[in-house]
Order: sequence, then C-alpha cells, then structure tokens
Amino acid sequence: MGQLIVMPKLGLTMTKGNLVKWFKAEGDEIKKGESIFSVETDKLTNDIEAPCSGILRKIIVESGTREVLEPVGIIADADEDLSDLLAKASNTSESKENSQASHDKEKKEESKEQKPVKQKGRVKASPKAKKLAKDEGVNIRLVEGTGPSGVIGEEDVLKYIEEQSKTDESKVKTSPTADKVADNLGVDINKISKDDRVMKDDVIEYWNFERVQEMASPKESVKEMSTMRQVIANRMHASQQVTASVHYNLSVDTTEMQNLRKQLKAFYKVTYTDILVKILSKILLEYPELNASIDGEKIITRNYVNIGVAVAKPDGLIVPVVKYANVKGIKNISKEIKSLAKKARSNALQPDEMTGGTFTISNLGMYGMESFTPIINHPEVAILGINTIKDVAHNVDGELKFKPMMTLSLTADHRVVDGSKAAEFLNRLKEYIENPSILLL
Amino acid sequence: MEILIIGGGPGGYVAAIRAAQLGAKVTLVEKKYIGGTCLNVGCIPTKVLLNTVDLYDTLIKDGSTLGLEYNELSVNWLKLQERKKNIVSNLVGGVEKLLEANQVKVLRGTGKLIGNHTAEVSLIDGSVEEVTFDRAILATGSKATIVPIPGIENENILTSDEILSLKKLPKSLCIVGGGVIGSEFASVFSRLGVDVTIVEMLPRIVATMDQSLTDFLDYSLKESGVETKTETKVVKFDASEDSVAIHVESSEGKSVINAEKVLLSIGRRPIVKNLGLETLGIQEEHGIVINERMETSVEDIYAVGDCTGGVMLAHVASAQGIAAVENIMHMNAKMDFKTIPYCVYTKPELASVGMTEKEAKEKNIDYKVGSFPLSSSGKAMILNETEGLVKFIVDKNTEEILGMHMVGPKATELIVEGALALRLEATVDEIVTTIHAHPTVSESVQEAAHDVFNQAIHLMY
Repeated sequence: MGQLIVMPKLGLTMTKGNLVKWFKAEGDEIKKGESIFSVETDKLTNDIEAPCSGILRKIIVESGTREVLEPVGIIADADEDLSDLLAKASNTSESKENSQASHDKEKKEESKEQKPVKQKGRVKASPKAKKLAKDEGVNIRLVEGTGPSGVIGEEDVLKYIEEQSKTDESKVKTSPTADKVADNLGVDINKISKDDRVMKDDVIEYWNFERVQEMASPKESVKEMSTMRQVIANRMHASQQVTASVHYNLSVDTTEMQNLRKQLKAFYKVTYTDILVKILSKILLEYPELNASIDGEKIITRNYVNIGVAVAKPDGLIVPVVKYANVKGIKNISKEIKSLAKKARSNALQPDEMTGGTFTISNLGMYGMESFTPIINHPEVAILGINTIKDVAHNVDGELKFKPMMTLSLTADHRVVDGSKAAEFLNRLKEYIENPSILLL
Repeated sequence: MEILIIGGGPGGYVAAIRAAQLGAKVTLVEKKYIGGTCLNVGCIPTKVLLNTVDLYDTLIKDGSTLGLEYNELSVNWLKLQERKKNIVSNLVGGVEKLLEANQVKVLRGTGKLIGNHTAEVSLIDGSVEEVTFDRAILATGSKATIVPIPGIENENILTSDEILSLKKLPKSLCIVGGGVIGSEFASVFSRLGVDVTIVEMLPRIVATMDQSLTDFLDYSLKESGVETKTETKVVKFDASEDSVAIHVESSEGKSVINAEKVLLSIGRRPIVKNLGLETLGIQEEHGIVINERMETSVEDIYAVGDCTGGVMLAHVASAQGIAAVENIMHMNAKMDFKTIPYCVYTKPELASVGMTEKEAKEKNIDYKVGSFPLSSSGKAMILNETEGLVKFIVDKNTEEILGMHMVGPKATELIVEGALALRLEATVDEIVTTIHAHPTVSESVQEAAHDVFNQAIHLMY
C-alpha cells in the first residue's frame, strides 16, 4: 500500500522544517528504516528514515521549508495507482499554504460538504437568521431550526457558528493528568504538538521551555550589512569556495627576535609584525609558490613582495598593503605599517593602498591566541597567522628551561602549494626568526 | 535480520515470537525447558498447587457456611502433582508449537557468546554448533540464591525448584525468607496441614508491598497456623536424615526451630556465568547491565529479564523481550516500569501497581488516599472472602493515580485496572466515572476511588 511521506515533527515545538535534500531519486527502491532525506530545523539537521518499504514514486517537495506533516513524497509499489494519494497530498499542502483565514474557511467548507444537507427545498428561517447567516458566510441549510415547526432563528445560527469554531480548534490527544497539569500551570495544551498522546511530562517540559523562553525574552534584530561587511563576507566566502586550504602550525623560539627588537629600540621602535614582514619579504622570493596567484590554469609568480597587513577596525577588517617590501628596510616598513594602520582606522586609505597584495599577515597575538586558521585573502595563495608569545618549558641538556615560544599558523592553497613546500617555507621562516642576523647576509 | 536468543523463558520465547512476527530470522537456544522457570518450576506450577489448596481450604473451613456437606475430603498429593505436570507440559507444548509455527529455530543446548556476532552452542547431544547473528538477546534468567550458612548442604534443605515436586507432604516446614515466594509456599503448605514457620530478616513479610496489604496476609497466615519470626536470621543448620534443626538469632536471643524440611527463599540470582560476557567485555553488576533500550554495554548485544538483575517477574521479562526486539527492528520501544503489577498469590491475594504510600511519603509527594474495605462488598460477601481492601494513592494537586493496592479475592486479576490507569495517566475521575459491573469485586475499586473525596456510596462518613 502506498504511503505519503510527510515533513516529520522532530520536537515538541517544531512547526516547520527545511527539506535540504533527498538521498533517493524517484524510482529508487526504498527499504524501511533507510535514510531518505534530510531535514534542517533551526537547531539541527536530521536524516529521516523511510517509514515503509517500496519505491520512491514521487518527490512532491524537492527542497525548501514546509510545515510539519505536510506531504513531501510518496512511497508505493511499482505499479500502484497514485491518484488518490496525490489528491490527498495536494489537498493537505494547498490548505497549509493558504493563509490562516482562508484556511479556516476552507475547513468550514470541507465540513459542510461532509455533512449531509439537512433541508431540501425552501428553508424556513427568520429574516434576522437569514441575514446573519449571509453575513457570516454560513450555509443556512446546514443549520438546525429549533423554532416552531423547525424554523431557524437567529440563536440557531449563532449556535451553529459557535459549534463550528469549536470543531475548528486543533484538538490534541492528552492524558487526563496532562490536562490537569496543563490547567494548573496555565499551559495551552493545544500548543504542544506530538504524534501520540500528550502526557504529563510533555506538559511539564513545554512549560519549562516556555519559562526559559520567558526569562530569556529572546529578541532578534535585523539590520542591513554595511558595505564593508558585505565585502568581507563575500571575499571570505569566495575564498573558502575557491581555495583548497590546508593549515600548518609550527612553534618557534622568539628569544633572538626579541633581542633584535630590544637592540633596535635604541635607534627605532619596531614591532614583531614589522620584523616578520621584513623576514617574509625576503624568504617569499625564495618560495615564489607562496607569493603567487592563480589565473585560470596559469600560475602567476613575482619578483616582488607586497605584504598585506590585516588591521582590525571596530566595524570590520581591512588589509592595507606594504608595497615592494622586499626592497625596503625594517625602519621604512615599520613607518609604512604605522601610517597605513592609522589611515585605515580613520578611513583615509586610498584604494591603491588596499590592493596589489601578494601575501597577507594577520596578527592575533595581542589577543592571546595560541593558534588559528586564517582564511586566504584571495587571489593570494597563502596567509600567515601570528600568535601570542608564551614561555614554554624545554628540556635543555636534562634541565628545564623556559623559552618564549610563538606558533606560526599558515594557511596555504594546496592548488599551488603542496604540503612539503609549505612546511619547508615555515621552517625557513623559523630559521630566520630564531637567527634574525641572517637578514644581514 | 538474524537474531540469536539465549534462554527460552518468558523473556526469550516471547522475544523470539515477536521477532519472527516482525520478519527476523530467529534462533532460540534453551538448555533445559522451553518456558523457563516460569512455566516449569515457577509461576504456573505453584499456582496449580494454590488453586487446589484454595478449594480444599474453602471446603474445610467454610463448607458448612457455604451450604456444602461432604463425608470425607482429603488432598491427593500425587494426583495434584500429576495435574501440575499435565498443565505444565500442555503449556510448554503450546509454546513449542507457537515457536515452530513462527519458524523459530530451537537449539537444545547451552549458548555462549564467542564474538560480537558469533556464539557457540553446546548441544545436548554433545556436539557443538557455531551460530552467527546480527543481534543477540541474552535471556538466561535466574536461580535461587544459596548463601553460605553452615550446614546448608543437606537434601532436606530445598529451593523452590525441588519443593514443587516433593513425593509427599512434610509434617513441618521452615521457610527461610518471607518474601513473595516464601509467603506463597507458606500459604500452600499451611493450609494443607503442614506446620509452617517463616524466618524473615526484615521487620515484616513481603516488605516491598504496602503495609496495609501485608497486614492482612500476616493475619491470614497466623490463622492458618503459620508462625512468623521477623527480624530473625539463621545462624546454622543442623541436619539429620529426617529433620533439620534451624538455629536462629534475633534481638530476643537464640533459639532452635525443628522442621522436616527447609525451604530457602531468600531471593534469586541472575545467571551470568559461562555466557561469554568477559570475552566480549559486557558489563555485569548484580546482573547484566542494560539501558532503557535493553542494550548491554556491547553493541548489538541485548539482555532482558531476570539475568539483568532488575525486577524479576515473568511479565517484566516478556515486556523487556518485546522492547528489545522492537528496538532491534527500529521501532524505538521503551519500557514503562511504572505500570508493572506485583502479585502475591496467597490467600488472600495481594496485588499492587505504582507507588506505595511509603514511597509517596519518601518522595515528598503531596498525596491523598482512598480506600474501601471488602467487608462492605456484596460480592466479597458472596465469595465469603471479605478480608481485604482496595487502596488508591493519588496526587493531591492533579488527582493523578500514583498507585493502586489491593488485597482480597481476585486482586491479581483486578490490579490491571490500576496498571491501565497508570499507563494512561488517568486521574481519580476516570475511575469514578467508569461504570463497574454489579455485583463484582471490581465495584470496590470504583468505591475506593470515590473515597479519595470521602464520597464512597457504601461507606458512612
């Protein structure tokens, strides 16, 4: 026997579900208990099992959000006539799609059709009753007259309307105790949706949910994305779609880099970022794959290094670019980064100062991050995340010694940069950071 | 789906039939008798004895009151044994036919798990067969507990298994353990003229039941000449060929009870040995550990009934067996333990479902009680069994029925009304507004519900 497959009710409070995709195609054989489609609610995604075996004869809803219990497909035997089920399906879904008002009306009409017409020929009714029936859209033939010789009075019509509205209320099956508990707690038991009988514990669970909701008084506010946010959103998303990201982490000893910074301090105050940009601009020339871009099926490499430095602003992230860092000294690089960051924060960056990057560096060390997985600033193919410096105990000749360690978090696009290459690059970087005097060579 | 079930008692055979109904291929392993303890040496045979004893006792005690006269009346113990045997073999044969009709493959032997999907069955004929399965259900049951009391190894010291097939009635019997089994045997043997003494460690017999019920039992056992020693424990047995001296100890000091036979009914222990539990790493702690889906700690292995060490009742094992199978067949079944009826087949019968008054107190539930004495019931009077009552424990706020307790004629049959009420979360109102037939004992159930509001028709307030 054929069966309508409906949007399942996956929780007490679920009213709608989003059919994400079917695992089966029309015509496929289905075994009871097999996963046939997946449904997403605001909380989770569930794979739904077939309630019976047969052939998936029809997919009524390919995807999209539907109310619970609305038909989404039909499982039946291979040669079974589906017309009845299809009619049933279209009835249910149409009535659900309509607005509540017309929904009610339709239900009324349905019930009218089901009930035998009680009177034929001329209807005996008072004029007031006729007018009321007309105004309320009631078929007066269905109203039972209680007046003398069966004349329909105004009160008969009112009674009829009242009765109809009662039957229209959705009634749930409940246990007597559940009713009492609902009454005591002031819960509208009809709001609890469940496939079988609503029991005491369901009412208590629903009440708890309502109370939590009351306490939380949840509110969602909606506002348009700023242009900047849109750009970030689109670029980040596009990057994730296009690149084949692989993440690499390597911890490095920063003792020497710290010394270098201290020594330079007497002449010029530089940051770790400045030093790292300088080192990167040097070794990226040794590893042109990490300083590349992809254009269709071509790889573009360069003899220069433009390093983007991610700058956080209250309203979003911006990446000004230090152009031709490979020919600049640390002092210049430092000055330029400071000025670019300042401009960035005061929205004074020129478009030219934000384009042309070939590699990006993003420092979250000041927030204490120990590792993260930055997203590549497409069309670049690699990005380096800088983390906090932490004292870590090392076994040095049998003695515990603390070293200021920092993790480098590299994300590279595997389309261009293979794992071994990325690892070599990071190790070269480590070599420079741990022996910055190589910069003099 | 291929399911292997080890144990053919009320847990295993019911699971086997249910699984076959749902389209699984089932192999059932049973080492001794289909129907298990329940059918062969438990529920069924004991009730055969009780039934005859009830008739006999009624005629002897109340014959003249009931207008019955006879010249001579005696119990033919051997004939009664034969009737017991016939009923048991009838029922066992019936179950075997059902299994056959459901195409359950029955292997006579001992099953042991040797892998997550393999078991080894040592068949009765000495051969060994390897069985593979998708899921296995362990339903190996329990056996009477024997504790290391000095002198316990004696053929006059029996468990329920042996006492059922005694060739002749003993003159005197000492029952160690006044739980359900002990009390039932006390009720049987005392009314057959055997001198019965019960030794119980706890302050009262059948201590798990509501005291207002057990008070009736206490009284009726006393009437039948049973001596009950509560808060007393056995120190040692001194057995000779035809009698046993039972040395007991209580706060009042030491004493000795002499009896021809001793029945040990101090509880039952899950059968978990040589099942391959250790091989598979299945967790066991006073029985095989299961969750509410009857799953053991090892995937695809389920366990039901007495071997899980929970509530050791045949109807619980059957319900668990069905739940296990339905879970295996993706029907997502859970056991509702609150609707388990507990029955004691003594005279009068005791039956109980849900919370006792003591439990309600301990859980700090605001409750009300309604009760009705059978001395006010016309039908009880007709039956000449007016000793008893019906009692409801009801939630004060919602009037939900939390427990029903009954003592009196047919209590074990009538308790199902309470079980259904609990299952449906009924309130007192549903019992009160359900029409109960007249004249029946069941009217008293309705009246007890009325009494929750002090509105029983046949009581004066």
